[in-house]
Amino acid sequence: MNTKKLLLFPLLVLAALTLSACGSGNVVNNWPGLAVDAENAYVASGSIIYAVDLKNGREVWHYPDKADNALHYYANPVLTPDGQLLIGSAGTEHPLASLDPATGRENWAEPFIGAKSTWIAPPLVMNDKIYAPNADGFLYILELDGTFVDSIELGGALWSAPVTDGKLIYVASLDHHLHVVDPVNLQSFSSADLGGALPGGASANTDGAYVGTFASKMEFVDANGNYRTLSQAAGWIWGAPVLDGGTLYYADLEGNVYSLDLASGKQNWEGVKPDGPIAASPLVIGDQIYVTTEAGSLVALDRDGKNIWERTVGGKIYTTPVYSGELILVAPYQAEFMLAALDTDGKQAWTFTPEK
Amino acid sequence: MWETIIIQPMTNVLLWIYDLLGHGPHMFGLAIILFTVLIRAVTWPLNAQQVKGAQAMQELQNDKDWQEIQKKYAKDREKLAQEQMRVYKEKGINPFGSCLPTLIQFPIIIGLYQSIIRALSTTPLGMLQLSRTVYPFLSVESIIPLNSKFLWMNLGSPESIQIFGFALPTLAVIVALTTYVQSKLTMPASTNPNDQSAAMSGMMSIYMPLLLGWFALNFASGISVYFITSNLLGIAQYAATGRANWRNLLPGGKKQPAPGRKK
Repeated sequence: MNTKKLLLFPLLVLAALTLSACGSGNVVNNWPGLAVDAENAYVASGSIIYAVDLKNGREVWHYPDKADNALHYYANPVLTPDGQLLIGSAGTEHPLASLDPATGRENWAEPFIGAKSTWIAPPLVMNDKIYAPNADGFLYILELDGTFVDSIELGGALWSAPVTDGKLIYVASLDHHLHVVDPVNLQSFSSADLGGALPGGASANTDGAYVGTFASKMEFVDANGNYRTLSQAAGWIWGAPVLDGGTLYYADLEGNVYSLDLASGKQNWEGVKPDGPIAASPLVIGDQIYVTTEAGSLVALDRDGKNIWERTVGGKIYTTPVYSGELILVAPYQAEFMLAALDTDGKQAWTFTPEK
Repeated sequence: MWETIIIQPMTNVLLWIYDLLGHGPHMFGLAIILFTVLIRAVTWPLNAQQVKGAQAMQELQNDKDWQEIQKKYAKDREKLAQEQMRVYKEKGINPFGSCLPTLIQFPIIIGLYQSIIRALSTTPLGMLQLSRTVYPFLSVESIIPLNSKFLWMNLGSPESIQIFGFALPTLAVIVALTTYVQSKLTMPASTNPNDQSAAMSGMMSIYMPLLLGWFALNFASGISVYFITSNLLGIAQYAATGRANWRNLLPGGKKQPAPGRKK
């Protein structure tokens, strides 16, 4: 075998490695999940979940102690009424775990590992039960100590938090249906095909639920599963709408922000379009509506859609911002820091970057 | 650039075919097969060039001038190479013509792989990327998310079949076999042990099946569907020319001259 022949093999191996680098492989990557209580913010980002002190932006704890490549967290963590922090993994292994929000230690003897796919959606806690939608299309029902109770196959991949009107549970699915579950008898039924995937979840009141679709429509689904189209958007709707009194606030991937008056069925404003696509839900605090954009901006609007202020936070913001009572917390993707805290006037209080 | 000229068109063509097929179960696999046929049709002239080049290489082995310079410069490799290049130039032969189409497949493979992963996005970030990849005029929102099932496979994941507790990578084996068959059939026969291009082609016929088999083993099975379809079409295309030397597939059959062109 001469030199040329010998060279051919390493060249092909090099080509293989190059191609491997070009492909996205099975690497799990997504924007962070975010939750807040009176003391801490909780950021689920990659292999680690961080608790960050709201007073100073310093790390309180992180979980697990050492990053595990099989575990990836990017669902919004959920704080339960009995003081647990629930978080599921979207990695190659996908346990649903319960942590102590004060210490980051595991609460349950064993995490729940009965789901077949990843946890992209945060669970709902209602009537002392955990309702956890999984990407395998099942809604898993657990006791608050993590004991498995039952599961219901709803269909499609379930990526968003279930919502409740106090009686029924509404679960949005990528299969184009809003599924309705009665938690008393665990019976479920579905809306008709809404014409597009429902990735970002719904918002419920006593009449039913509001949900945006990839068919660029805002739909209302009542407690019997009947639906009616409320409004047409310019682009695909990702983030769950926010119901505030008689007004529904939502945005689309074209970057438009909407304010729909539910009584009249008319939009309160037209042409409110900040600087980039919007995948997150708006945040409504008092008379201000805050939206985050892919361009990395946090924009404050008044009830008339007038731009009050706009701040460039950095990175790309897809995570819905949360409010701690004093601070607006923003978790950008691909930014120099993991979390930023701003007051309601847009003044930055602190940023959090994990220690390497 | 890569996104605009490769990923976006490929993803949209895949989605368009999938939509035409009715976007039911197994249809994305069928869409990949039809897409491969389309790619093969587009690259038909290139493959025809390869076949022509391989035939020219075969005929060159019987050329008197060629045989003479092999004997004359047997001990002067530099001069031999110069003379060979002169003959290649005179006869308009590209010595790497049989390897080139295989290498040109690489950008298609990368693009297709990325398009399949993009189309079958299983994460919110992937779905967000898909939302801006689709051309607005296609109106594909009703077919998203795609059904990734095809026969026994999930096209977005590497394939294997569980038999007695063992995960058998059947597609990887089929990919390696069909790649081997294709490269052996298209490899020019040579009786000259000093023929460098034939030696290179011989090595490629060993390494390429291993390489593509490795891809099939580790990457989304949708790419294996592409490899197998592409290989089978390549074999059919070459066999249709009447130049396929099936004896090349057998041990010891390597030096058999290929049959003449059918007239």
